[in-house]
Amino acid sequence: MVVCTGCSLLCEDIELALATGAISQVKNLCRKGHGHFQALFTERTMPKIDGQEVSVDQAIKKAADILRNAKHPLLYGWSNSTLEAQRVGIDLARKLGATIDDTMSFCRGILMERVLTGKLPTCTLDDVRNFADTSIFWGSDPSNSHPRHLSRFAYYPRGEKRQKSYEEERTCIVVDVRKSATAKLCSNYFRVPPGGDADFIASVIAVLDGKIPKYGDKKRMIELGTILRKTEYGAISPGLGLVSSIQDRIELLETLVAKLNEITTFKVVPMVEHYNTRGFNQLLLNDTGYLNSVSFHSGQVTHGPENSVIAAAKGCDAALVIGSDPLSSLPFGTAKCLARVPLIAIDPRRSLTTDAAKVVIPSAMYGLEAGGSAIRMDGVKIEFEPIVKSDLLSDEQILKRLKEEI
Amino acid sequence: MEAVVTVVTFRDIFQYEAEKKSRYSEDYRKLSAQIILDKQDMAGLGVKDSQNVLVKNDVGSIVVAVKTSEDDPHPGLAFMVNSPWSNQLVSDDVCTASIPGFKRISAQISPSGENVTQISELFQKMRGQGA
Amino acid sequence: MVGAMEIYKLLPADACKECGYTSCMALAVALLNREKKLDDCPSLQNPKYADKFNKLKELLAPLEKASETGLIIHPEKCFGCGNCVVACPVNVAAEPTRCGIGLGPQGDKVILAVEDGVVKCMNVKECRRFGPNKIMCNACTVTCPSKAIEFV
Repeated sequence: MVVCTGCSLLCEDIELALATGAISQVKNLCRKGHGHFQALFTERTMPKIDGQEVSVDQAIKKAADILRNAKHPLLYGWSNSTLEAQRVGIDLARKLGATIDDTMSFCRGILMERVLTGKLPTCTLDDVRNFADTSIFWGSDPSNSHPRHLSRFAYYPRGEKRQKSYEEERTCIVVDVRKSATAKLCSNYFRVPPGGDADFIASVIAVLDGKIPKYGDKKRMIELGTILRKTEYGAISPGLGLVSSIQDRIELLETLVAKLNEITTFKVVPMVEHYNTRGFNQLLLNDTGYLNSVSFHSGQVTHGPENSVIAAAKGCDAALVIGSDPLSSLPFGTAKCLARVPLIAIDPRRSLTTDAAKVVIPSAMYGLEAGGSAIRMDGVKIEFEPIVKSDLLSDEQILKRLKEEI
Repeated sequence: MEAVVTVVTFRDIFQYEAEKKSRYSEDYRKLSAQIILDKQDMAGLGVKDSQNVLVKNDVGSIVVAVKTSEDDPHPGLAFMVNSPWSNQLVSDDVCTASIPGFKRISAQISPSGENVTQISELFQKMRGQGA
Repeated sequence: MVGAMEIYKLLPADACKECGYTSCMALAVALLNREKKLDDCPSLQNPKYADKFNKLKELLAPLEKASETGLIIHPEKCFGCGNCVVACPVNVAAEPTRCGIGLGPQGDKVILAVEDGVVKCMNVKECRRFGPNKIMCNACTVTCPSKAIEFV
């Protein structure tokens, strides 16, 4: 059995048969996971300095040079590395007096912060499968981002208290700006305009209080109130759509969840993209008291938006990017800043970031060529072994070497 | 003819798969350099499915292909898969509810005779090379 | 998927009864159920209906690929999400501790399983829509996010 590191569901029931250079057969892997596994064979990186191929040792030495001499280094990425690698990375940041940040801080970190600090009650995905009779996907579309979410946990499987499952005992609600694939499958879909989530929350709170809602189709909102009140165990899975809409008013969600918990039980399970985003947040939180955007400059630990990748990219004089492609996935302005400083890219595959990097260090693909442990989106720790032999160094090994060189 | 729309980005499993084969492929470009428009908005702009449009705002500009929305009507709203193309339009002001990054991007659209922007062009812009 | 009305509109509508049915609408339904073929309609063989014949052939072509239960899978649309695998009552009965609780099947008595990223159909005779006592189970089609799995 193999663990898929394609998304933060970390599915463990994957059966894989390999032949040289290709997967001969794989079972139970969704299309997203299948794409992720296929990446083992395409566009792998080679060690490079300034576009010229070198040995791995040379690349690591050069990277160490750059980091040692930088006054404001930025260490970014981390969501696609194991806990073991992330620990070394945080140590490295401390040693360098660097700024360290992950792929979620600037738009979604606040939700994870509330969950990890207990301000939003949470549960595991197994709890969702066993107990949840209402699942709400708010600003998220698991069919496209976490394809097996509905079949493994939220809607279709049977559970301890949900033996009749979606046919009789589960309700799936989607709140979104568009009729996503998940919205087409769910039992109740609510369309909200961009930025309209605060109003929607106010209306839900109103109907829970037995008042007339100000916003939305009154009849449908009252029906929603009834569904929520009758829920025995609810799970809300907010995605980027909701969090970006109420980002600086996250207390609106806290108020709603608190209200729901006066009536019944409602939990929040944060939707995160990469397989170990939560792991990094948990480690950094335990270590420094903050889950992202931390600076170790001058031996002090500081936290704030000025240390988020968006801001730090503007002021950094060198950057280490590990397991991420910010030039493709971050706003253009940030991509520009990162493309113009000495960039060290640690990645198994070619990307815009590795193309722009001064130093490229190829790494092993976790889950296939290297093992370790990670934290699923719901906080459950999953461990995995490598299943393919590889000479490539893992993130953990590369970071340890960098630490030694520096 | 020009229209102002709010662009919302989203995730698509097929575009993810294309990226895992190659970010530099035609498949990836076809699935990424696309903007999903409401039928009414398309009529107002005078564009048909698969025609190219220029999408621009204060941050940047791109030429992408139009795809007709299969959703219920959503005039004024446009959807783009999260990609280096959509990121050309995303501000790097720290995200707040008033400047919400990926989920409420204001942009102007107009029909364009240009070819769809290539990923190499986007890359050159990041490096400060080329036009 | 094509409907009976669409097929009926392309038939001669002369109720000649040569096919054994009393009306062309009845034949349209039979064509859809694949109980009859286009060649069973003698009127349709007349050259003046050539266009309609060709159009009918086109419309009915996808049905050729369907299994005996009328199940068609479009792998290029499939998300590999496993919703159908977990919703299928035959799958659940065969593997209650696997498909029943959201995991992939381990045995070979199931009728739906995800292989190489997309769903595959096997043991179609076990499907509830198969055979003379069939019921119109639609668990796999209503749980599909992309209409990758359909019944004719």
